[in-house]
Amino acid sequence: MTGPPDHESNSPSLEGRETQTGRLPGDRYVRIVHHASGEFRRQGGRYVATEEIDRPLDWGGRARSAIRRVLIGRRLSTEAEAEERVSKKTGLAILASDNISSSAYATEEAMRVLALAGAGALALTMPVALAVVAVLGIVILSESRVIRAYPGGGGSYIVAKENLGVIPGLIAASALLIDYVLTVAVSTAAGVAALSSFAPALHEDRVVWALLLIALLTVGNLRGIREAGLLFALPTYAYMLALFALIAVGLWRVLSGDVPTAVLPTASLESQGVTVLSTLLVLRAFASGAVGLTGSEAVANGVPSFKPPESRNAAITLVVMGSCFAALFLGVTFLATSIGIQPDHSEVETVNSMLTRSIVGSGTPFYYFVQVTTAVILLLAANTGFSGFPRLASILAHDRFLPRQFSFRGDRLAFSTGIVALAVMAAIVLVAFGGSVTNLIPLYTIGVFLAFTLSQTGLVRRWWKLRNPGWRASMAINTLGGTVTGVVLVVVAVTKFALGAWMVLLLLPALVLVLSAINRHYNAIADALTLPDLSVPIPVPGAPVVIVPIARLDRAAVKAIGYARSISPRVRAVHISYDPEGAAAFRARWERWVTQVPLDVIESPYRSLVPPLLRYIDRVAEREGQQITVVLSEFVPRNWWEFVLHSQTALRVKASLLFRANTVVVDVPIHFEDIIRDLAADEASKVGPAH
Amino acid sequence: MQIRRMLVAISGAVIDPDVVSLAATIARPTKAEIRIVHVIEVPWNLALDAVLETALERGEALLSAAAKVAQSTGVKVEIELLQAREAAAAIVDTARERRSDLIILGMPYRRRLGKVYIGRTVQSVYTRARCAVLAYRQEEPS
Repeated sequence: MTGPPDHESNSPSLEGRETQTGRLPGDRYVRIVHHASGEFRRQGGRYVATEEIDRPLDWGGRARSAIRRVLIGRRLSTEAEAEERVSKKTGLAILASDNISSSAYATEEAMRVLALAGAGALALTMPVALAVVAVLGIVILSESRVIRAYPGGGGSYIVAKENLGVIPGLIAASALLIDYVLTVAVSTAAGVAALSSFAPALHEDRVVWALLLIALLTVGNLRGIREAGLLFALPTYAYMLALFALIAVGLWRVLSGDVPTAVLPTASLESQGVTVLSTLLVLRAFASGAVGLTGSEAVANGVPSFKPPESRNAAITLVVMGSCFAALFLGVTFLATSIGIQPDHSEVETVNSMLTRSIVGSGTPFYYFVQVTTAVILLLAANTGFSGFPRLASILAHDRFLPRQFSFRGDRLAFSTGIVALAVMAAIVLVAFGGSVTNLIPLYTIGVFLAFTLSQTGLVRRWWKLRNPGWRASMAINTLGGTVTGVVLVVVAVTKFALGAWMVLLLLPALVLVLSAINRHYNAIADALTLPDLSVPIPVPGAPVVIVPIARLDRAAVKAIGYARSISPRVRAVHISYDPEGAAAFRARWERWVTQVPLDVIESPYRSLVPPLLRYIDRVAEREGQQITVVLSEFVPRNWWEFVLHSQTALRVKASLLFRANTVVVDVPIHFEDIIRDLAADEASKVGPAH
Repeated sequence: MQIRRMLVAISGAVIDPDVVSLAATIARPTKAEIRIVHVIEVPWNLALDAVLETALERGEALLSAAAKVAQSTGVKVEIELLQAREAAAAIVDTARERRSDLIILGMPYRRRLGKVYIGRTVQSVYTRARCAVLAYRQEEPS
């Protein structure tokens, strides 16, 4: 609603002004009658809709609303959106949970590949882990430059789009969208795996449990749990505490010569045959271990949510995050290889679980503590997808690359469409891959490295163009970052191509094409609808040509004809009849009753209704050469289920006319209540005024 | 005296909530109707029905807050926003037209020249109203 009501004109308004004469001549006063004071409040020359407006009136709506309130919570107004800033401690917990949680499965995924070449090849896990950590170091160094260049939050999409162009930007965005979906799928699957390690009964229905976790996250995010700092901080720190303690105990035992006996899996990989240890296999192990780098872009994306000085706090958090991940990953890998842990082929128990059991024993409270905190942090890591995907989708929708619905905020200010879309896609992926982390991993890392490579390349170009102080060092860092991530990208793509990476490589260009097509559509519409300037006077067309299809001469028809005559003198009624007798009878009744409106009767011997009517409208429009207004009468029953008892011809005609150019369709509904009122009025007029 | 209809005039003073609560207390036993009004005084250099955006906004906010106070005590109220040259005349005329039995107004504690000062609206309503009038004076700030 725009502007205050204009009480001086005759135009409809929410506000009425009645001038009252006082007792004395000078005591006139004006009563301002606000017809919707509880529903709209006045503010700064405009009306503001209150929460009252959204309160449903019927019981069905009230029930739906009550369920929504219980699940999602009370509606929040846009004004309530507080700009919540996070400290380094909370920031680490919220933004780094994805990256740090990767230490729960990165070692295992690298080992799983190496184990194909026999137990002896597992000794290579540590060098592979060191290589992954070296790449992580370079990525973090490069990401710190992103923070410096984009203090307002530099997602790979924005960086690539600004510096390399729209298509690279869209490639980065598509890669990230795919990756966020996979983050949710992988993390929930890994979370269930952590739980099924000590409760093997869960393994059987792991897909169902993972789907339940996704549902839980969806509801939580629709409620807006993004701001719940404590909710994130506790599990992240609990997980870090658990693993660091485990590593400390493990290292002490290994270094003091009291090497624990390895807990062996029920289904060892060796029983599946031995492959030759080739460079390709080592590279594949590296590509699998590189999954630990996912999530490191979250800090650079979330710079504005830090307390000032934002860039510095974000950079410190980034370094702390990288150090924590590196320490956990290397610690777990070192212990796993020193003790001689082997991955479980059946995926019932995780490497981390076996490692914990080996060091502290099965069934100890500490073992459960490690497993539960692992499951919880993986759940939170899945939540990174829930905060990243909707935000990126909203930016893309804002830039007209995704449907506008993705940019709308829901009841709790969360991007509901993005959240639901992500949940649905992650659920589909999870079901399609049977909830197996190992099957999902090959698809996972490509998107991240593609986005990294593009944003690093974008930054190299940016430094070259701007050449501000320190540009050489920044450019060198980003060149190194871009090259390394590019090489990792190629390694991941080649080594995992046959294992499923081909799906991502196929999906990426398809997604880019879809995004571009959506953009072309929106741009074409915007070009066509935009006014060149606002000085063009609003055209005042002449009286419209009105056609009123009439099925029967009843109250509904009377209302429709009455309305048609109120908007134009050029009205024509049309009746479709299935037989000559019916046609003649209708005309006779019409001529006895309506003399002011001409009638065309069309006989339809093939009993079709809509096609002859549409053709009739076509021909009249051709002859008149102007816009046609079709006035339809429609009976609206009292209850929704009564709809099936009526033919709904008006609905069919409306649907047919919806896509017809240059046609205005006016629906004149007649409600059951209207009929009752009319009947009462008729009765009253028959009785006549009392004398 | 049986009070069936009451008119409560609020001006945006700090004692408005107290005045509304008092009205609700009086109304509850007899289930009397309460109508809360706020009058925007229009300067003589403007038309009587001029749209005074800021004053309208304030008036609506005051009435809405007053209605909430009444509702919190379990009493239903009607609210009315008026525009007049002089608030007292509009209050008195509205009370007459709505056949109110009692007008309740608030009087913030003010002193002028060493004496407790009664505002011109209260004085004028007292002298002109035909129904009963109750002015609730704020207690002296300690």
